[in-house]
Amino acid sequence: MIEATSLTKRYGAKTAVDTVSFTVRPGHVTGFLGPNGAGKSTTMRMIMGLDRPTSGRVTVNGRPYAEHRSPLHEAGALLEAKAVHTGRSARNHLRAIAATHGIPNRRVDEVIDLTGLRSVAGKRVGGFSLGMGQRLGIATALLGDPATLILDEPVNGLDPEGVLWVRGFVRQFAAQGRTVLLSSHLMSEMALTADHLIVLGKGRVIADAPVSDIVNSTQTFVRVRSPRIDDVARRLSQPDVDVTQLGDGVIEVRGLTAEVIGDTALSLGVALHELSTVSGSLEDAYMNLTRDEVEYRTVVTPGAPGGPASGGPASTGPVAAENTQEVAR
Amino acid sequence: MSAATETPTRARASHQPLPPSRLRFSGVLKSEWIKLTTLRSTVWAYLIVVLLQIGMAALFALTVNMGTTGPGGPGAPGGGAEAAVTGAAAAQTAVLTASLGVMLGQLVVSVLGVLVISGEYGTGQIRSTFTAVPKRLPVLWGKALVFAVSTFVVGLIAVFAAYAVTWGMLDARGVTSDITDPDVWGRLVGAAGYLVLVGLIAYFLGAILRVTAGGIAAAVGLVLVVPIVLGFVNAEWASVLGQWLPSSAGQTLFLGGGVFEPWQAVLVMLGWIAVFVTTAAVLLKRRDA
Repeated sequence: MIEATSLTKRYGAKTAVDTVSFTVRPGHVTGFLGPNGAGKSTTMRMIMGLDRPTSGRVTVNGRPYAEHRSPLHEAGALLEAKAVHTGRSARNHLRAIAATHGIPNRRVDEVIDLTGLRSVAGKRVGGFSLGMGQRLGIATALLGDPATLILDEPVNGLDPEGVLWVRGFVRQFAAQGRTVLLSSHLMSEMALTADHLIVLGKGRVIADAPVSDIVNSTQTFVRVRSPRIDDVARRLSQPDVDVTQLGDGVIEVRGLTAEVIGDTALSLGVALHELSTVSGSLEDAYMNLTRDEVEYRTVVTPGAPGGPASGGPASTGPVAAENTQEVAR
Repeated sequence: MSAATETPTRARASHQPLPPSRLRFSGVLKSEWIKLTTLRSTVWAYLIVVLLQIGMAALFALTVNMGTTGPGGPGAPGGGAEAAVTGAAAAQTAVLTASLGVMLGQLVVSVLGVLVISGEYGTGQIRSTFTAVPKRLPVLWGKALVFAVSTFVVGLIAVFAAYAVTWGMLDARGVTSDITDPDVWGRLVGAAGYLVLVGLIAYFLGAILRVTAGGIAAAVGLVLVVPIVLGFVNAEWASVLGQWLPSSAGQTLFLGGGVFEPWQAVLVMLGWIAVFVTTAAVLLKRRDA
């Protein structure tokens, strides 16, 4: 259980985290989402007592993290890859951290096996790949068999097998009634892993809801492509129907089903080259939520051709959406 | 890798309960001991301290002009009898010889003292450390204690080995000292103690500055450069200040002379350390890691 109350962190004139309040509950995987610079990592560091809040308060399992008698049993954290001295072997690093709490070497070997580090445990961390560094960070977080797990971008740099493992692991961890907070910039990863989302933008909480709610809040639309798209669009135009012209003979229709659109095209005698229903994805929901909150926005030259085909790079999403024109009614 | 995929869903690989464990200062000490001894830089630094101590002592013992021994020198049959140096003069020569390496060893110990803490900041290790010990200050004390005791033991080994190696060389040249003489062993212990105090100053400077280069510059500057600079200043205040520097006060512990009694010299050194300890502790609690 993590509870943040009006948590604020300012660096000089810049406010990184601005009166953020949220609760991360046990038994769920909670995703921490937000564009770069939204304040995710800063918030996580404040939870772990590494950064001092300018104001506000955050507790882990009822107390500020530093005030627990046995901190590593309360929470484990992976806050960045390789928070480890490069000159020490992975096993010696884990032994040193375990020693603070009197955790036996048996547990050190357990987390080494659990994270698949056995073959490199005796090697110096300086030579580790990003993925191995992530595994070691997760191993460190698990040493105390903690009730709460905090992972900042855990799948960054992991191979597909590692991604799969992290996903399964955190779900199982939460299923045991423990608390998981993880951040990721991969929305698709969040859709598969998290039950609940806290979305941050410019240091503020802009959404705090179950994943399904956030996905459902994005409307489903129908994508239509035709050589005579203007005729189709004109016929579909009516109150409660939203037609967005994407250029190149493509429109997006909200408020009508694919069946109705297909029948309409048939009645006009117009051939359709594409007729597909696109469900709201977490990516879309996220882009809608953070559209105005992006700290480092990608600048697109005005007058550039219409947005890229859907499924383009996530970072261009909101900008592309702005370049589409509403069909006048 | 295969181990990871075989047990993808278990937080614990075994069902044996872990024994109850919690954060204790003894645990922090053990952790810091593991950290200190599992880095190559530590082993190398301490090895160099010992070798410097023995090497410089031997070089000095073999080449220095002993004055009174003069032509009698080594190999002169029984000639050392009337030229023999004993007592206080012999103790002075023997201790000077054995502790000569401290002049270089203190640089090595200073670098190590800074690295013990700046190395954690430079690599990000400090965040793992403070996650395990979120109150932070136990880390500052634990590191200091482990580093101080280790350096003291290594320092003792180094100066006593240097004394042992050079005893015969000096004896052959008519300088016969006695290890049981408090003027000998006491000052050899003082030399090891001086290394510890210099190392601690460097360590706390490292904790304040958090960067290796800056920490080493500050520590070496205070111990080596400031005395030289003050030596150039032709003023009363400069020479008084010079006597109060950690290096000149501390060297009283084994070289003798100077304006302070040994116990006063220790107090002066501890005063310096107190200033840096306080600064380091306040900053450690206040700053973001």
